[in-house]
Amino acid sequence: MAALAPLRREYGLAQPAAAPAPSRLEQAPPGPENFERIVDDYQRRLYGFALRMTGNREDAEEIVQDAFVRAYRALVKMDPKQRAELRLQPWLYTITLNVTRNRLRSKRPTSVALDALADPDALLNETQEGPDQPEQIVERGADMVLVEQALLQLPMHLRAAATLRFIEGRSHPEIAEILNQPIGTVKSHVHRAVRILRRILGPEVGRVAPATPEEGESQHAVL
Amino acid sequence: MRCCDLVRMWDELREGGAVPSREEVLAHLRRCVHCQEGYREFEGVAYCLTCLPVVEPPPGLVPKILDHIKSLRPANPDMFARIPSPLGDLIVAFRESGITAIAICSQDSESTLCEAIAKRLHRGLIPAQAPRWVVETVDRYFKTFDTDRSRVDISALSGFEQAALKKAAEIPPGEVRSYGWIAKEIGQPSAARAVGQVMARNPVPLLYPCHRVVDASGSLHNYAYGVDLKARILEMEGWVRRPQTARSAAYGRA
Repeated sequence: MAALAPLRREYGLAQPAAAPAPSRLEQAPPGPENFERIVDDYQRRLYGFALRMTGNREDAEEIVQDAFVRAYRALVKMDPKQRAELRLQPWLYTITLNVTRNRLRSKRPTSVALDALADPDALLNETQEGPDQPEQIVERGADMVLVEQALLQLPMHLRAAATLRFIEGRSHPEIAEILNQPIGTVKSHVHRAVRILRRILGPEVGRVAPATPEEGESQHAVL
Repeated sequence: MRCCDLVRMWDELREGGAVPSREEVLAHLRRCVHCQEGYREFEGVAYCLTCLPVVEPPPGLVPKILDHIKSLRPANPDMFARIPSPLGDLIVAFRESGITAIAICSQDSESTLCEAIAKRLHRGLIPAQAPRWVVETVDRYFKTFDTDRSRVDISALSGFEQAALKKAAEIPPGEVRSYGWIAKEIGQPSAARAVGQVMARNPVPLLYPCHRVVDASGSLHNYAYGVDLKARILEMEGWVRRPQTARSAAYGRA
C-alpha cells in the first residue's frame, strides 16, 4: 500500500469520500418508530446517488421521496426478526436504484440536465484553491462537467456500478449485495465502466502529468 | 503473470486492497510500460469520479418525506363488529369514513379473520358495537344486492385496486363479467391477471362485488371463500348457471 501511495492523486485535493456510514442506527434495528432518523441519516447519500444516476435534480428529489416511502411501507410489514436482520444501507440503495430504474425506463431517453449538477460556485472555489500545479489538471471545473456528462452516457448497469464504487465509495461485496450480482460481475462492470469513460473523456482528462523531475522520478521508482 | 490478468485487479490495487500475489503484481507493473499506462488511465478516471463535488439535497426534502410518511401512519385502529347475515355471520370492520373490510365467518375463527383483516389494512382492529349505518349498509346489500358505496372506504387501496373494484361495482346483480373485461374497461387491457389479484384481495367482498367477476370462459374460477359460496352468492342475486362448456368441464370448474 505504501509503495503505491504516490500513485494516488495527492496534488491538493482531499478525497471527497462519501460521508461516514451512520453508526447510531446500528444499535436499534430500523423500524417505523425511528424512521425519521433513517431519513435524516441517509437522505444525503441517496439523493447524491439518484442525482448521479439521473443527472436531474427534480428526478432525484422525487426518486428519494419515493424510495423512502417504499422503505417505510416495507418496514411496517416486517416482523422484528426481519428488521433485526436487515442490512439497512445496501437495502436503501437497492430501493433507490429500483425506483430510479423504473423512472428512467418510463422516461427515455435519459434527460441530461447537466447544468443542474455542476455547482458553478463550488467549481470556481476549487479552481482557485488548487493553483499549485496548474499544469497537472487544466481547468478542473471543466473536467468535472465532462466527467458528469460522460457518466450519464454509460448504460444504466455500468453507471450504477461506477457510481456506487467511486462516488459512493462502496466496497465490491456491498455493491454486489445492492445490485444482487456476483462480485465478479460487479468488478467486471466497474472495469468496463471505467474503460468506456476513458474512451469518452479522452486520454488527457484526470491524468497525472509529472510535474517536477523529482516527482516524476518518485513515480517511476514506485512502478 | 500476463497483462490481461492484471487488468481486473487495478481497482483493488488502487485502494491498496487485498490482491492475490501482490508483490508479483507490483513487480510486473514496475517492468511493464503497457500496464503502467493502463493503470494510470484507470486511476485517472477513478480519481475524477471520486472528485465530483458532493451534492446537497434541497433543504425541503426531509420535511417533504416526513410529511408523506406521516400521512401513511393510521391515526386510529379500525373497529369491528359481528353482524348476522343470510350467508352466516360477517365480521365487519369500519371507521368513521366507512366500512373498510368484511369477512365471512365460514370456517375460520373470529380471531383469525380479524388478524387477516388487520394485516390487510395495516391497522389495528378493536371490537365495538356496530353503529346503525353499518348494519343498514350490510342489510341493504342482502335486500337489494346493491350498496351505498359512500359508506364503504377503500381509500387505503392503490389507484389500480380502486379502479378495478369500482368497475366491478358497475356489474349489475345477476350478471357476471370477466377479469379481462375489467382490465380493458379501466384502460389496462393486458392486466387481467392483476385484476384477478385485486379481486382475490378485495377487503370488502359483497359490498364491492368481486364475486361477479369470472374468468373469460365463463367459469367461476375462484373465490376467497370457495367457489361454491361464489356460486351461492351469484344464484342468490339471480344469476343462472350456464351449461358446462367442454373447456370448463375439462378443468372441473363450475
